[in-house]
Amino acid sequence: MFKKNIGIKISTIILVSLFSLQAFAQAWTIPAELKAKTSYIPFTSSTSKEGEDTYTKNCMSCHGNPGKGNSMKALNPIPPDLAGKVTQQRTDGDLFYIITTGRGVMPSFKDVFPEQERWKLISYIRSFNRQYVQVLSTFNPQKAKLVKFDITYNAVNHLVRVAVKATEKTGMVVLKNDSVDIYAKRYFGRLQFDNGMITDKDGIAYFKFPTDLPGDKAGNVEVIARVTDDNYGEVTYQTRMKIGVPTDKPGLTEQRAIWNVVSKSPIWLVVVFTSGILFLGLFLLYIGFSLWKIRKIGTL
Amino acid sequence: MLDPTRIDKITSDLLRPIRINNAFKLWMTVLIVALVICLYAYTLQLKNGLGVAGIRDYVSWGMYISNFVFFVATSLIGMLISAVLGLSGVKWAAPLARIAEIIALAFAMVAGLVIVSDMGRPDRLLYVIIHGRIQSPIVWDITVVSTYVIISALLLYLPLIPDLKICADKLEKAPKIQRDIYKILSLNWNGSPEQQKIISQATRALAIFIIPIALAIHTVTSWLFANTSRAGWDSTVFGPYFVSGAFVCGSAAVIIAMYFYRYNYKLQDYITDSHFDNMGKLLVLVSVVYIYFNLNEYMVPYYKMKKFEAIGIHELFSGVHAFLFWSTQILGLVLPTILLLFKGMRKPFPMMIIGIFVLVGGWFKRYIIVVPPQEHPYLPIQNVPMNFKIYTPTLTEILITVAPFILVLMIITILSKVIPIVSIHETLEEEIENPKPLKGM
Ligand code: HEC
Repeated sequence: MFKKNIGIKISTIILVSLFSLQAFAQAWTIPAELKAKTSYIPFTSSTSKEGEDTYTKNCMSCHGNPGKGNSMKALNPIPPDLAGKVTQQRTDGDLFYIITTGRGVMPSFKDVFPEQERWKLISYIRSFNRQYVQVLSTFNPQKAKLVKFDITYNAVNHLVRVAVKATEKTGMVVLKNDSVDIYAKRYFGRLQFDNGMITDKDGIAYFKFPTDLPGDKAGNVEVIARVTDDNYGEVTYQTRMKIGVPTDKPGLTEQRAIWNVVSKSPIWLVVVFTSGILFLGLFLLYIGFSLWKIRKIGTL
Repeated sequence: MLDPTRIDKITSDLLRPIRINNAFKLWMTVLIVALVICLYAYTLQLKNGLGVAGIRDYVSWGMYISNFVFFVATSLIGMLISAVLGLSGVKWAAPLARIAEIIALAFAMVAGLVIVSDMGRPDRLLYVIIHGRIQSPIVWDITVVSTYVIISALLLYLPLIPDLKICADKLEKAPKIQRDIYKILSLNWNGSPEQQKIISQATRALAIFIIPIALAIHTVTSWLFANTSRAGWDSTVFGPYFVSGAFVCGSAAVIIAMYFYRYNYKLQDYITDSHFDNMGKLLVLVSVVYIYFNLNEYMVPYYKMKKFEAIGIHELFSGVHAFLFWSTQILGLVLPTILLLFKGMRKPFPMMIIGIFVLVGGWFKRYIIVVPPQEHPYLPIQNVPMNFKIYTPTLTEILITVAPFILVLMIITILSKVIPIVSIHETLEEEIENPKPLKGM
């Protein structure tokens, strides 16, 4: 009896502490240099409008309408109202970091939206804060145009080699120690292959490429590479490479199938159905003819 | 040759009910008033949409579709009695063939209307035919049900031709127009051997053809359910399960009809105790087959208790539907079968009572098959009001469900007021072959 009570007490303590864990959301640990990061895009009503569109499609289902406190309460932790004080007290760099990396239920949007779109989301979030004054970054987005990618594939060891350089007026600059990711473009979104890599001293990174990735009829795959550099910003590059398995599958609605429109129904079904109807017609003719004969005999 | 007085007696006995009496007028008035009330409920549905019924996004097939399955089921009896028993030379069933055909025709005709009651936009009914996909079991169902209506009507009509001639000749008191219609429909029947031969050949062909069609209508109706992946419907025995259940409903309907015809039309000499005895045995046979399929249908998933099936099985065996499930199975199927094993129970009155239990049980059985599985889809039901989760039929819906029954009763009543419900022609033929003294002669 006594022991049992102790058990109950212990479990109550555990439960209570679990609940308090839920109640007080964990703080975000964000590196100082990222905290200080600011947008190079000036926040205007038009960037905020673009951000709103993105927000409505991608964030509203969880966070609800900013300022309305109608976020999805079923989630744990509850997604904060982004117009709220807690969020608005964060730096732009904090918000950028949170949206980029995510945590637990909050998804990472790193591979979903390019940097600019993420800033526009923040522009929208900030539009609910009258006190907010933007600090612009001195970063020059034009510099991204100088970055050049060179992507090659080695069919023997299945490695994709990505070399990144910038063509400055002063000459070539190698982008070393930068993070690089590569993706294959699919029907819905991108498929990352291998892990994110860091460029070596020659600005080169190697990625393992899967040998069974379907390409188009000729085996072409749209490959997307992205590098993030302090100087040049986030730069993406897309190229078509003949490195997939040639695949020629007709679309699911191109062939005759049970799920297709009636003009593309399976032959066997057409045959069975129409011959059934035909037989019924003939049969009814036979019955009609019999009735006609009975009548005729009667009149004789 | 048959004694002419006996011919007269048989003819007048069987023709006697064909007249309009006060009982008929009263009964029809009751039916019409009831129908008008139900039709008013339907106008509410037409005006305000299917939302007036209890069906919602999850349980979207409620009473209407259960009713449809029940109607199709009951109509199958025509095929069993007039085709299967007729072709295999079961003599005792012959006088019941017309009753069975009338029931079959009435239920099959109205079944199509029942489907319309489940349509939100009945004005688009024609689209089902114009834009229907032959890959869809719904189109197969429409095809076979309408075929069954046609074939059943013919199977009622062809053996009726000689009787129509008798009606035209003997029913002197009937209005002229009625006698003219008899005359036209009797196709100059004179009973010559050639005519006899043609008609028996054509009837035989119909009787053969209706067997696959009847099996098809209920198998296809079962495929409307079994061709989905829904736990509770996803079953390979649904076809024969439905067909065997159909014979149970239909036999019960015939027994009830026999009882009322026998007493109201004073046909004790034609629908005899031995007919009841035999129908009782037939009902036991089809019920045992149905119990066997029930065993398959519930025992197999119960033994395995697969994740999603288990939810449904629990609800039926011990959950919210348990009362309905067990009372339907026991009162509507098992108990009647056991009772009918006793000779004393195979008498007209007890059988009529048993028939009502079986028929009502049959209706609820369809409800159990149709509704509960929809309450547990694979994807969880979330963020919806309570009435989306639990299906509760509304009064409007119940009235709209009752309407088809009234229609069936009307069709049966009218048909049995214009044609003899036991074939005069065949009764006479049978008399010639093996004469037996009738009571009161
Ligand atoms: C699947 C639901 C979900 C979606 C979709 C979602 N979030 Fe979140 N978000 C969360 C949750 C849950 C948290 C809290 C995470 C935590 O504290 O661990 C959160 C936290 C945040 C925060 C930090 C709030 C603060 O001040 O603590 C920001 C900013 C944010 N989300 C922005 C966004 C944006 C912008 C989008 C759309 C691009 C988005 N979220 C989409 C669930 C979601």
